[in-house]
Amino acid sequence: MKRRNFFTSLGSDKPSGALRAPVQGVPHVASPGPAIFTNALLRTHENKEVRFYDDLIRGKQVLINLMYATCEGTCPIVTSNLVKVYETLKNRMGKDLFMYSMTVKPEDDDPTALKDYAEMHGALLPGWTFLTGDPYDLETIRYRLFRMDHILIDTDIYSHTSFLLIINDATNRWLHVDPQASLSTVLKKISWADPPKTREQIMEENRKLQEQIDKERKKYGYRMNA
Amino acid sequence: MSKPQGRKKKEIRKKEGEVSRRSVLKMGAAAGAATVLSPIILTSKKSSVFGQTGVAEPVLCAPTPVPQSPPHTPFVDDLPVPFPAVPQFLSPAPTKNANIAGGEAARDPHQRWEEFNPSVTYQLEARAGTHQFHRDYLPTYIWGFNGKYPGPTILNAYGVPSLVRFKNSLPLTTSSFGTNKTTIHLHNGHTASESDGFAGDFFDTGLFKDNHYANAYAGIDDFGGFPKGDPREAQHTMWYHDHLMAETANNNYLGMNGAYFLYDQTSPPWEFNTPGSVRLPAFYGLTDFPLILAQKRFCATDTANGRTEAFQVIGAAAPSTDKFTVNGKIQPKLSVRRRKYRFRIINTGVVLPFTLSLHGPDGAQKPMTVVSSDGNLLHEPADCSATSGFPLLEVHVASRMDVVIDFSQFSVGQSVYLKENTQTPQFVSTPTPPDPAPGVPIGTVVMRFDVVGNAIIPDTPPIPDTLVELPPIPAASNPPFEWGFRFIPGRPNAFRVSHSAIPENNQNHVDTDLPFDPFRADHAVLKGSTEEWIIRNDTLAGNWLHPVHIHLEEGRVIERAVCTVPSATGCLPANRTVQAMPPWEDGNNARRDVYPVAGQQSLKIRLAFRDFVGRYLIHCHNMNHEDAFMMVRWDVVETAAELRRRREEINADRIARGEAPLYRKEDLG
Repeated sequence: MKRRNFFTSLGSDKPSGALRAPVQGVPHVASPGPAIFTNALLRTHENKEVRFYDDLIRGKQVLINLMYATCEGTCPIVTSNLVKVYETLKNRMGKDLFMYSMTVKPEDDDPTALKDYAEMHGALLPGWTFLTGDPYDLETIRYRLFRMDHILIDTDIYSHTSFLLIINDATNRWLHVDPQASLSTVLKKISWADPPKTREQIMEENRKLQEQIDKERKKYGYRMNA
Repeated sequence: MSKPQGRKKKEIRKKEGEVSRRSVLKMGAAAGAATVLSPIILTSKKSSVFGQTGVAEPVLCAPTPVPQSPPHTPFVDDLPVPFPAVPQFLSPAPTKNANIAGGEAARDPHQRWEEFNPSVTYQLEARAGTHQFHRDYLPTYIWGFNGKYPGPTILNAYGVPSLVRFKNSLPLTTSSFGTNKTTIHLHNGHTASESDGFAGDFFDTGLFKDNHYANAYAGIDDFGGFPKGDPREAQHTMWYHDHLMAETANNNYLGMNGAYFLYDQTSPPWEFNTPGSVRLPAFYGLTDFPLILAQKRFCATDTANGRTEAFQVIGAAAPSTDKFTVNGKIQPKLSVRRRKYRFRIINTGVVLPFTLSLHGPDGAQKPMTVVSSDGNLLHEPADCSATSGFPLLEVHVASRMDVVIDFSQFSVGQSVYLKENTQTPQFVSTPTPPDPAPGVPIGTVVMRFDVVGNAIIPDTPPIPDTLVELPPIPAASNPPFEWGFRFIPGRPNAFRVSHSAIPENNQNHVDTDLPFDPFRADHAVLKGSTEEWIIRNDTLAGNWLHPVHIHLEEGRVIERAVCTVPSATGCLPANRTVQAMPPWEDGNNARRDVYPVAGQQSLKIRLAFRDFVGRYLIHCHNMNHEDAFMMVRWDVVETAAELRRRREEINADRIARGEAPLYRKEDLG
């Protein structure tokens, strides 16, 4: 492919990950699909039955975190941070970006409990789904997606609140971030799973970043928060 | 494996442009040294179109169940020697301010640019490629500098300021593993912040970034002379690697690292008797080798695709591994002669320490003389041997240990084994081949040395009893700041700064504590000041050991202690019991930049902050730990007024989060 064609083939600068066909001419490896995600039958906070891979992941860009309704430690902080993330990316949510919060205590958290939790935290929002299901299935998903290869963390369901998985199944990108990090860090990490940028976009972002750095240099003498 | 096939594979390997030790020999001993000083023009043969490298992405194998790596025949590949990076003129020419129009990543202007105007320039391009990890394997998809794993070794000298243009030509689309942004840290160069590979200073595919390395000793402001700075602060063995925020483990596992040696009068690239030289084995690729260690696991060989892919873990986990590689080969062999050799052991991880010992053909342990730790020559060299009291050489992730092995103690035809003592032994093949030496199981052998003859290049004189004089240990100007690892439910990655003189500071702040953020500094120090820091691991013994790395400056370990009464909120001074330190850690004999702390342990160190300002990091160098944000940003500021302002801001932030302030009135300066 000619260089010019290559750039124009990347299309518009609107974020659209899931809905756009894979970028032409740049091969990437297909998602492992249910082989890693499983296709477990889960239940949403609206009491709807869904297949984990087919209905929730396939071809989509998603954010997944773990929680349980009675959690009082870091869960509310994480949830409130995720609400901020949601607000910022509102116009993408439910369209090409989806949020899933999965319970680690399915025995306690039925759809009603999850709905109450969502309501309490202002997280009852379109495109944000709370999930429960069979404990075995959820444990399998937790182990497959949130494993750290650390015996103490992996066997302790309470230690899983500090990860937000960022997955773009269309391009098979996997990233993770601590959702307690600042909003800008979390947003930056989410953007890394977006469809690739054009060279023009990259150059333009770089130019804007330099402007920001120059501004900060006036105040601090060196790059500070840019 | 049959012989003809072996030969065929060898040819393939040659085609890929790797250099065997023998061909380095042919190039002549001075080649390495000569390239240091004479830039030549090179035209890049493989410039890739933006975001496209032509190397197909790997088809990953299923992550569960975890695959066993394919078998390999031990000791069939020669130890490769990474080719020295060749200086080249850059176009567009490097500039003090970022050349945004020319495609350079946004950054601060270079500090001390006029003072250390680069006289040698290099270009290293991060791109996808393939690498054959063993004769029995097919090529593996990697990301490497100039498409190579390990990356080219940069050989440079103090007094020769240099600039490395790191070009990001990683694939525009990547699937699960690796992130196509990068920021490159020279570990542990005395480097200005904008060239230090700060985790948040990443840049995209298609851009480049000029990292300016002054190659001056620390203490530029206080010491004149040539080269500038305090020559006692020399650092000789370093490595450069990707430091991308939250993706360092993946990118390094894919191969984004290489060695960087700095020479000076004390440790020149030759062995001749020149003034000030400690006369260690020094000919690169002949008597002085980098041993870049890594842990890997591979998928079953995919003959249809012609690949043996690395096993890749998605998400936050680090891969559990079953192969060790040295300079990118599994269980290589190196032909040596009966004389002394210097091996610069670099553990590139990604998560586990190597604990090494040397064994002769009879299985008995043989001495290795440690001459340098973390790239810095020791005051007095120390033996790692069965009788020295320190039988094992721990090389933690990112740590460097330079050892001299004297092969004249062996006879021609004998083989010597470098053994790994703590990690799960490698899977070699089924059935497991017999032990090569008594008490040395084949799976534990990292590499083999074959003594093939008497010395051709005359041996270096005996290692002197004193190598170098160390600079005085910096004075402590404050009650120490403490950096603690804690294991809090929901926050397994907590690593926070506190003030030892403010007790409230030492509580858990599970609700308010914040993880690493490139946009937030948790500590500020004044340029030219010194501080005492305590690094604590408050988890129980048996938990992960955290090798802590501090950017910018080498530190001196004053005390290693273990907490006899563990507690989640830290250790009372009365409960701290001092432990003995190996001579390659003790601040009276060594300078370090990686500080390993096991559960319940603490280390007291002293640091000076010199010459440069800006944003720096302290973090656990287990790479998936730093990716889980066991990392803190701290800043060096120029003036006392600035320090006061920054420290007041940090205090105000903490109070707003419901924490105790970090600084007392007298700390505000």
